[in-house]
Amino acid sequence: MASSLTLTQPVATAPRRFIQLLPGIALLAGIGYAGKFVEATVNGYVRLHHLTAPNIEYVLWAILFGLIVSNTVGIAQVFRPGVATYEFWLKTGIVLLGARFLLGDVLRLGGVSLALVAIEIVLSIAFMTALGRWFGLKPKLTSLLAVGSAICGVSAIIAAQGAIDADDEDASFAIAAILALGALSLFTFPLIGHALHLSDHGYGLWAGLAVDNTAEATAAGALYSDAAARIAVLAKTTRNALIGFVVLAYAIYWANRGQARAVTNRAAFLWQKFPKFVLGFLLISLLASAGVFSKDEIGSLANLSRWAFLLTFAGVGLRTNFSDLKKQGARPFLVGAIGEIAIALLSLGLVLVAVRLNLL
Amino acid sequence: MSSPIADREQPRWRLSLDEWAVAAGLLLAILVRFGLLKRVPW
Repeated sequence: MASSLTLTQPVATAPRRFIQLLPGIALLAGIGYAGKFVEATVNGYVRLHHLTAPNIEYVLWAILFGLIVSNTVGIAQVFRPGVATYEFWLKTGIVLLGARFLLGDVLRLGGVSLALVAIEIVLSIAFMTALGRWFGLKPKLTSLLAVGSAICGVSAIIAAQGAIDADDEDASFAIAAILALGALSLFTFPLIGHALHLSDHGYGLWAGLAVDNTAEATAAGALYSDAAARIAVLAKTTRNALIGFVVLAYAIYWANRGQARAVTNRAAFLWQKFPKFVLGFLLISLLASAGVFSKDEIGSLANLSRWAFLLTFAGVGLRTNFSDLKKQGARPFLVGAIGEIAIALLSLGLVLVAVRLNLL
Repeated sequence: MSSPIADREQPRWRLSLDEWAVAAGLLLAILVRFGLLKRVPW
């Protein structure tokens, strides 16, 4: 999905492509705003009548409304190109979120994240590979599941699929498993975080380390708190930044076995796979740290980031179709589920150790 | 830049999704900085 945004497909002239995006973007905005409206209405009603009720964030409402639309009436063809832009909004939101981080914080928290991410990646790949072999999955499907769970879900699977010449079917299996588990994490992670009384920092780091797809990691963080969402995005972005190294390692592994094309230029390969939006995030953070923006301007950039995320969360619900997931079969899903639960527990352990050592 | 794995990649003159996102983010930051977008509400 990372490279398949309709904006880049040679299907029509630029103005026509832009017009084709509008219905879907309007649907994202409508569903996202409905989530925000319902949150405000419910909270207002609860306050007015002095009731006690849990605060259900707009994030969850937007995802729920998206899920309902996707799994009942479905998404008409006219909306599909625009709905596919949810990842563009996610990345734009992350770039703008850079305004809320001082570069020193990014380097400090990013450094802690990087150390935890490195441990998480090694253990995740080892565990998923062993699990895939144990369940008798095809080796390349196992590789895709390992890359998807260790790094960043759908984008990593697509990047790895091209690099190791895996089948489209294997990639679909791996993507379906990662998306289904990502959807489940939205409902389970906040509950576990609250049960364990995790701080915003601790929870955000856990969500960023353990939830595989960037959109779901951001949403899982936002479901806990605004501060947790920021930390989740930072930890997840650190994971994303390492995508090239892991995919390169797999490309070399499969090329050495004669089952993928050799990588001729490793530096170019790394640059090509590097998620460029990370550079945009760092640039905006650098400008904010240098005092380029006033306090009001930083507030405006943070709000623009929230609006962009609102469209993303609607897209998370809209692109999750349970019947499509069911078609992919149980075995890859089972391997993914066992692996993800183990990785979530492992990441939680890493975070708790980091909290105990006062690293956060 | 020649692609290290050429045949599944898009032509270089097209912006990737990430590049579009960075361009949009920077454009919005410029609009906010120079007062064309003021006090964006939430």
